[in-house]
Amino acid sequence: MLETRNITINFGGLIAVNNVSITVQPHKITALIGPNGAGKTTFFNCISGVYKPTKGEIILDGQHLEGKRGFQINAAGIARTYQVINLFWKMTALENVLVGMNSRLTTNFWDCLFHTKKKRAEEKLIYEEAYELLKFVGLEQYANAPAASLSYGKQRLLEIVRGLASKPKVILLDEPAAGMNTAEKAELDILLKKIIDMGVTILIVEHDMKLIMNVSDYIYVLCNGMLLAQGVPEEIQNNPEVICAYLGGEE
Amino acid sequence: MKFDKKPNKLILIAGLGLLLFILPFLTKLIVGNQYPLLIMCIIMIYIIAVTGLDILFGYCGQISLGHAAFFTLGAYTTGLLNMYFNLPLFITIPAATVLTSVLGALLAYPASKLKFHFLSLATVAFGEITYYFLYTSPGGFTRDFRGINVVGISFLGEDYLKWYFFLLFFVVLVLLGKTSLIKSRTGRAFTAIRENTHAADGMGINVRKQKIIAFTVSAFLTGLAGALYVHLIKYISPETSMQKQSVLFLTMLLFGGTASIMGTILGVVSIEVLMEAIRFLQEYQMLFYGILLLIVIVALPGGVYGGIKDLIVTIKRKKALKALNVQKAADTGKDGAE
Amino acid sequence: MFKVLLINGLIIGGIYALIALGYSLIYRASGLLTFAQGDLITLGSYLGLTFYKFLGLDFFISFLLTFISAFIFGILLEKGVIRALLNKNVIPIYIVLATIAVSYIIQNSMQALFGTTTIQFPQVFKKGTLTIFGITAQTEAYACLAISLILMLLLHLFMKNTKFGVAMRGAAMDPLAAESCGINTSLTTGVTWGLAAGIASIAGMLLGPMYGVYTVLGSIIGRKGFAGAVIGGYGNMYGAMIGGIILGLIETFVAGYWTGTYKNLIAYAILIIFLFIKPTGIFNEKAIQDV
Repeated sequence: MLETRNITINFGGLIAVNNVSITVQPHKITALIGPNGAGKTTFFNCISGVYKPTKGEIILDGQHLEGKRGFQINAAGIARTYQVINLFWKMTALENVLVGMNSRLTTNFWDCLFHTKKKRAEEKLIYEEAYELLKFVGLEQYANAPAASLSYGKQRLLEIVRGLASKPKVILLDEPAAGMNTAEKAELDILLKKIIDMGVTILIVEHDMKLIMNVSDYIYVLCNGMLLAQGVPEEIQNNPEVICAYLGGEE
Repeated sequence: MKFDKKPNKLILIAGLGLLLFILPFLTKLIVGNQYPLLIMCIIMIYIIAVTGLDILFGYCGQISLGHAAFFTLGAYTTGLLNMYFNLPLFITIPAATVLTSVLGALLAYPASKLKFHFLSLATVAFGEITYYFLYTSPGGFTRDFRGINVVGISFLGEDYLKWYFFLLFFVVLVLLGKTSLIKSRTGRAFTAIRENTHAADGMGINVRKQKIIAFTVSAFLTGLAGALYVHLIKYISPETSMQKQSVLFLTMLLFGGTASIMGTILGVVSIEVLMEAIRFLQEYQMLFYGILLLIVIVALPGGVYGGIKDLIVTIKRKKALKALNVQKAADTGKDGAE
Repeated sequence: MFKVLLINGLIIGGIYALIALGYSLIYRASGLLTFAQGDLITLGSYLGLTFYKFLGLDFFISFLLTFISAFIFGILLEKGVIRALLNKNVIPIYIVLATIAVSYIIQNSMQALFGTTTIQFPQVFKKGTLTIFGITAQTEAYACLAISLILMLLLHLFMKNTKFGVAMRGAAMDPLAAESCGINTSLTTGVTWGLAAGIASIAGMLLGPMYGVYTVLGSIIGRKGFAGAVIGGYGNMYGAMIGGIILGLIETFVAGYWTGTYKNLIAYAILIIFLFIKPTGIFNEKAIQDV
C-alpha cells in the first residue's frame, strides 16, 4: 500500500536518512524503531511532506508522492500525529476534529460565505461525524472544551482522532505513547487495534518496546539513518545487531 | 437546553433590531442636529473596515499594519473614476472593491511566506508606499496633498438618517457573511492557520491559498468601507492612508476583542466615542490617546470584550460557589435535624 | 555630482546604520519589533537641543547627557512596559502596539512642549563647512559620519571584547543557557533596550544640526530605517550596519540621478522588495515561514 524506495535525505552534508526502503502492508501495523537520533521522525516528516527527499520515491497505492506538499499528501490519504503535540489549542476538541476532515469536505469559499444549502447540509453531517469520532476515543464530553484544557493523555488521543477524521488510508503515529502511563498505554494498545478494524493502516514510531512487540505485525529498525534490520517482532527481538544498536555494544 | 436558547435568541435579535431602528430618530430628536447620526454612520463604516481586518488578523492570524491603504484606495478609486469619467456610483463603488481585492490578493501572494514581524513590516511598507504614491502621484492625477472632493450619493443627499439605514443594510449583510464564514470550512481553516500553521498544512489545508483568500476578503471589505466613506464625507486626502489610521483600525479591533462579531462592534463604538469625547483636547488629543492606549494595553490585554467575558465567567463562578455553599449548608442542616 | 551624492549617501547611511543597529539589537535580545526607535531619535534631538541650546552646556557634555537620559528611558521602557507584557504572556501584537503607543506619547509630548515649528540647532563647530577630497559639506555632517562610524566600532569592540558585551550576546542567543551560566538575562535585555535607545538619541542629536529639530523628524527616518535592518538580515548587528549604509547610498543616488519626488518611497520600496525576495537579508537570518 505505502512504499518508500531508496529514500535519502541530505541536509547539506548531514545525511539524516540513508537509502531507506520500507513497505507498509495494508490493514497491518508496521513499526519503525531505533535509538534516538536514528532519523525516524525525519523519515516521517519526509513521508508527510515536511521535507523533500534528496533522492528516492514515496508511493501510495501506485501514486507518487515524493516532492508533494504536506496538504497534498494529506489529501492523497496519509494522515499523521506529531511527536510534540500539535493541536489547534484555542479551538475546541470538536473543532480540531472538524479541521482534520478538511480534505474530505466539498464546500468551497462561496458556499461558506453565502451559507448555501450545500454548506448547511455538510456542516450538520460533519458535526455528527466529528462527535462520533470523539466518542470513539471517549472524548465526547470534552467536545466543547478548548484543546489546551485537556490533560496530556487526552490531547494525544485527540491528535490521533483528528488524524483519523480525514478517513486516511494510512496514519503515521509519531510516538503516540510518549508520556503516557501504563493504564493509558494499555488503552492505546486496544485503540490501535480498533483503528485497524476501521480499515486504516498504521505506521508507528515508538520507543516503548513492550507496546511495539505487542501490536506490530512488522518492524523496521533504523540506526544512524540506515535500515539495520526488518522482520516480525520475534525476529527483531532476537536480532543481536538490534540489541547492540540499542545498548551501544561492539560493532 | 438547546430549545430554551432559540426563543431567547430571537427575542434578543428582535429587541436589537427595534433599538437600532428607533435609535437614529431618538438621537435626532434629543440632540436636535444630525451630528450624532453622522458619527453613527462613520461607526458603521468603520465596523465594515475593521471586520475586514478581523477576518485577516483575528481569524487567520495575519497581521496588517497598513490596512488604511485599502480603505483609502477604495475611497480614491470610486472618487477618481467618478470625477474623471463621470461613471455612476453603482459602477465606481464595486470597481473600487475590485481594485482593493486584486491588490490584496497580489500583496498576499509574496506576503504569505513571511513570519509575523516581517509581515507587519511588509504591510507597513505597503501602507507607506500607498501614502507617498497618493501624495505625489504621477502627473498629479490624485491631486496630491490637496485631496479630492467627491460627490455624495444622490438619492441619500445630505440626509444622514437615510445614510444610517443605507449603511445599516451593508453592515447587516457583512456581519451575516462573517457569521456564516466563521462556522464553516473556510473559517476553521483560517483559525487553524492562526493556531498552528504547520498542523494546518498536515490536515490538508492549502495554507498559501487560504491566506490569499483571507487577504482578498479583508481588502474587499476595507475597500468597500472606504468607498462608502468617501461618498458620505465627500472628501478624501492621502492623510487617511497614513499609519495612524491603520493603527486606529487595529486598536479598534484589539480593544473590542478579536475573532468575534460583538468584539468588532464594541471596539469600533468605544474607540470612536472616545475619540469624539477627547476631541475638545485638540492638540493634546493624540497625546491623551497614546497614554490611554498604553494603559489599556498593559491593564486589559483581552480587549473590552475579553474583559467582559472574563467578568461574566467570574460572576458565574461566584454564583455557582454560592449555590454550592447554600446546598452544603442545607444538607448539613438536614443531617443535623435528623 | 557623484562625489557629492556619495558623501551624502554615506552620511545618511551612517544614521540609518545606527537606527538599524537598534532594531537588530532589540530583535536579537527580545525577539520583538519596536516602533518606538524613530521617536527616540526625535527625543534625542530635543534632549540634545535642551542641553546644548537652552541650558548652554558644552557639546560633548550634552552629547553624554542625552545618551544617558535615553539609555535610562530605554531601560525603563523595557522593564516597565515590555517585560510587564511579556510576563502576562500576551500575543506579540500587543507589544508592538505598546511600542506604537509609546511613540505617540513621545512625539506628542515633544509637540506639546516645543511646538510644531522647526527649531534651529545652533552651530557646533566654528568652521561652518569642511572640504575633504574636494567635497564640501557641513562640518556637522562630516562629524555625523565620523561619530556614526566610531560608535559602530565601539559597539563592535564592546560586544566582542568586554565581559558584559559577551554576556549580552550569549543571553540573546540562548537565554536559558545564559541563565545557567550565571548571566542575568533580565539585566542584559534591559541594557540592550537602553543601548538601542541611546544609539537612537545620538542619531537624533547628529541629525539636529543638519536638518533642524522638529517633531516628526525621527519617526519618518526611523520607519525607513527598517529597510536597513532587513537588507543586512534582521537581527544581525553587522548586517544592520552594512544594510543601513547601503540604504543611505541607494536612497541618495536614486534621488539624485532619477527622481527626488519619490525619495521617501525608495526606502519602503527596498524594504518590500527585500521582504518579498530575500527576507533573510544579506547575512541570511531566518524570517520566512516554512509552510
